[in-house]
Amino acid sequence: MTTTSEPPLQLTAGVQLVRPSSSLGVLARPKGDTGWKSWLFTVDHKRIGIMYGAAALVFLVIGGIEALLIRLQLAVPGGNVLSEDAYNQVFTMHGVTMVFLVIMPMAAAFANYLLPLQIGARDVAFPRLNAFSLWAFLAGGIFLNTSWFLGGAPDGGWFGYAPNSGLVYSPSNGMDFYALGLQIAGIASLVSAINLITTVLNMRAPGMTLFRMPVLTWMLLVVQFLLLFAIPVITVALFLLTFDRLFGANFFNVAAGADPLLWQHLFWIFGHPEVYILILPAFGIMSEVIPVFSRKPIFGYPFMVFSGIAIGFMGWGVWAHHMFTSGMGPVSVAAFSLSTMFIAVPTGVKILNWLATMWGGRLRMTTAMMYSVGAVAMFTIGGLSGVTHAIAPADTQQTDTYYIVAHFHYVIFGGSLMGMLSGIYFWWPKMFGHKLDEKLGKIGFWVLLIGFNLTFGPMHILGLQGMSRRIHSYAADSGFNLWNMFATVGSFVVALGVMLFFWNIGVSRRRARGAPPVGPDPWDARGLEWMTASPTPAHNFDRDITVTRPDEFWHRKWRIGPDGEVKRIARAADVAHDGSATDVHLPSPSYWPVVVALGLPLVAYGLIYNLWITGLGALLILGGLYGWVFEPPDDPEAHDHHDDHDADGSDDSGNGASGGGASSNGDGAPADGDGARELAGVGAGLAASTAKATGAQP
Amino acid sequence: MTAEQPSARFGRPLWRRLGLVGIALAAALALSACADEHPLDTLTEAGPDAQEINDLFFPVLGVAIIVFFLVQGAIVYLVFKYRARRREAAAAARAEEHSGDGDDLYGDDEYPAQVHGNLRLELAWTIIPTILLAVISVFTLISLVELNEVSAAEDDLRVTVVGQQWWWEFQYHLDGDTSTPPDIVTANELVMPVRQQVPLEITSRDVIHSFWIPRLNGKRDAVPGRTHPWVIEANEVGRYMGQCTEFCGLSHAYMRMYAVVLSPEEWEEWVQGQIVDAAPLEPGDPGFEGQEVFLANCANCHVVNGVTDVNLDGRLDGMIDYAGANSITSALVAGAAPNLTHFASRTTFAGSIFDVYEGRAEWIPYLEVAERGDLNRGHLAAWIRNAPERKANDADGARGMTAFPGLTEGEIDSLVEYLTTLR
Repeated sequence: MTTTSEPPLQLTAGVQLVRPSSSLGVLARPKGDTGWKSWLFTVDHKRIGIMYGAAALVFLVIGGIEALLIRLQLAVPGGNVLSEDAYNQVFTMHGVTMVFLVIMPMAAAFANYLLPLQIGARDVAFPRLNAFSLWAFLAGGIFLNTSWFLGGAPDGGWFGYAPNSGLVYSPSNGMDFYALGLQIAGIASLVSAINLITTVLNMRAPGMTLFRMPVLTWMLLVVQFLLLFAIPVITVALFLLTFDRLFGANFFNVAAGADPLLWQHLFWIFGHPEVYILILPAFGIMSEVIPVFSRKPIFGYPFMVFSGIAIGFMGWGVWAHHMFTSGMGPVSVAAFSLSTMFIAVPTGVKILNWLATMWGGRLRMTTAMMYSVGAVAMFTIGGLSGVTHAIAPADTQQTDTYYIVAHFHYVIFGGSLMGMLSGIYFWWPKMFGHKLDEKLGKIGFWVLLIGFNLTFGPMHILGLQGMSRRIHSYAADSGFNLWNMFATVGSFVVALGVMLFFWNIGVSRRRARGAPPVGPDPWDARGLEWMTASPTPAHNFDRDITVTRPDEFWHRKWRIGPDGEVKRIARAADVAHDGSATDVHLPSPSYWPVVVALGLPLVAYGLIYNLWITGLGALLILGGLYGWVFEPPDDPEAHDHHDDHDADGSDDSGNGASGGGASSNGDGAPADGDGARELAGVGAGLAASTAKATGAQP
Repeated sequence: MTAEQPSARFGRPLWRRLGLVGIALAAALALSACADEHPLDTLTEAGPDAQEINDLFFPVLGVAIIVFFLVQGAIVYLVFKYRARRREAAAAARAEEHSGDGDDLYGDDEYPAQVHGNLRLELAWTIIPTILLAVISVFTLISLVELNEVSAAEDDLRVTVVGQQWWWEFQYHLDGDTSTPPDIVTANELVMPVRQQVPLEITSRDVIHSFWIPRLNGKRDAVPGRTHPWVIEANEVGRYMGQCTEFCGLSHAYMRMYAVVLSPEEWEEWVQGQIVDAAPLEPGDPGFEGQEVFLANCANCHVVNGVTDVNLDGRLDGMIDYAGANSITSALVAGAAPNLTHFASRTTFAGSIFDVYEGRAEWIPYLEVAERGDLNRGHLAAWIRNAPERKANDADGARGMTAFPGLTEGEIDSLVEYLTTLR
């Protein structure tokens, strides 16, 4: 990549000719950096990330309350906290909430906030689409949860097996909400996946080759590809279910010749990659946190990357291990049994590489590190129990028992959620300019770890003793009493741990009020995201960063001598950007993403209740898209320094021109020749990489 | 749910138990070893198939436990061995506290050697697990083949298992020919001879269920529109509990079953007792009034061979089709309910949730319960009066047994009386 800004300038000039004039716009773009409107209409990937995270935490509380209700019901035999019907709704919504509304958006929060920062970009490729993803996800989540007040939540399990999910066996509107709500959330995930893939492939900082990207960026990239291919499968399945339920189709009507296994195959072709969609972001986070606090680079970087990619590929060939007892035939069972067994290999490689990263290090056991190490330990348990049901004959005993419940909670709670909690503690100062309290954090970690094991450890025993899943009650003579009581007590310890986490957020915020923000690099970390002020300024970086190796930022602070000794060559405060650049051109906020997203639940409500509402929602979507397309690119009142850089519009531009003008904001002594690449807007980086991408095409 | 429900066996009120938590927790671990009444335990196998599964599972579990200790041990070792020295960590904490930045965290030479990786190690921990898993997969494949072997002859006993919300039906084909109408149709208790492999054909009339007698074999889904082969065999005479394990709606938890394993002689006797039809009662016979109430109210769904299938007055035209396993004629399956021909010979009803006889009659030999058991009239009468109140059920009566508010107490009593005659 050349360092001149000539190509973008030319590109800009050409584009500017066809830029729609402001007069075509429906409304001027929203203005202002503060107040609720600045959040509602934002297209800033960091604000979007924070909102994703906040929404995920709210849903975590909802899903957690559902979990506690389940545990209360099962504390003793013959529990009568919930009716059978209510129990079925609660366990269905617990699963749906935790998978689609907690772990996935939490991963999206990290992806949105960190991915552009880690590759040294100004924003994602399509900022307005990004905002749309957030609002569509939120619309889907809220839509799903309104079912509680509209005649009953979904009651067919998160897996929604046909024909039990059909109108005949689930006559309330719950499963309609399930099908349509997940459809909306799926649109959000799909759009987001395309956005982030484009971002990673096109917008990396100069010199940031794919194999200089942080492992987290890699894992998030793999996850976006999984989403890109998995979401369409569940989309098809959900459409079939919707057509069956709302329009009398017969896709799953056995009497009309349907085979209910169709649903299972479709669901799990999505559902198993989904498991890796849930766990790989946490793997990425752990691969960032463990090196920083071990004071060593990640051990076996290429193996970490390739094992992640391998998991991504192999994840497509194991779905039917959810169906070993479904009667699909011994040959299929044998094939999927083997493929499932061998997916343990790349997963094991990851675990051993984390351990090797710690080996010979000098560990600082911060809260973030403890959560990461804890996640390695807990995920290992989930992985090992996974191998015991990869052996299909044993799985015929284990499947649909609490042994499986234990297994996937060790993976998704012990692995994903703990990994993400590690990430929250780690990146909190970058996001909010202050650390979370370490002491409270560590107490919270131990409470959570103990509660988690108390809850889910006994479930292994319960499952092997024959306790079925999804039963609202068990008989006193089944011998399940003791460990169920343990699990229930444990679940309240988990609740205490989660409350400590929220308490920590409150305490730390209050303490930080008025205090100056932490420096750019509070942990002596390695990734580019630490190379700018905390909290991250709206424009991310003052200048483009030229990357020459992995862990670029760390290498600018430290030099490895000839004998391997590590000497400081610069302080983070000197290397990092201080966020003082002005005249940076950023994508302007927009009304339209939220408008379009608002149309989606209206369409869905209308399908259930009254097609006129669908029409209204469709109008909102079409109107919103019209406004979106013809939106004026500029905030007219801030014409010169608040340009729009949506790469999704034709207005990816202008910045280069003004970028040249802004290059005078002298910002300290740039290390490693940043000076030549100084720029003020996303222009040069974005447009130049666009030029590169275009140039590479035949 | 009120306390009067499946209750009798499904426990005490929550709050009273919660009060005991503190004491229970202390005693729990000590007691767990003794309180080993686990009727659904997968680990104490009682049949060759379950044995085969555990022979595969235990070694793999052993390997997993070894790996578990290795990895967790390594984590603990690494954390303690390589943890930054206390003084250094304290200094770092101070620096951090002071400037809020990482610049003062570490001085020169406080970074360890920067190792990036080791190809040999990576290859080792890729290849060794692969070999380990390859070995396991060989045994897995062998097991799979063995578990799919059917040793029973073509004309041996074969049972069609039909799942339905929320109970199980067993159709016995004594000659192994499932294309002909079954010789015996019963519900919830799969009676079978000991040490004889019984091939099953598992299907469903509504949603997906899963047939599972954990101590005898793994589970197999009952999928509507499909017939899945499975086998079951027990080493010992006895009564083995089972539980539906595919979520099937409201009363999924209340869908149980038993495998009742009899000695060859008892099995012969049981077959001889079951294969005969019930004789229609004449006026004056005990239970005759009940039979009339039955025909007027229950025969829409329930069959009593020899009584309902003679189709008195043509009342039952087209109501019931038991001819084949795939008798799904509509999505709704009202019209198929447990065959009651020999109801009093069974020990449980309504998905094996309720006991027909007091005290579960476990001490009485299975073939003698009807003679010697002490009938659980209260349960039976309450069930007939209002089944949905006793076991969660479809509100509009489309599935499961409906309530019969129109029946008088006298009629209910006579029905219970009639049921006792169906031995």
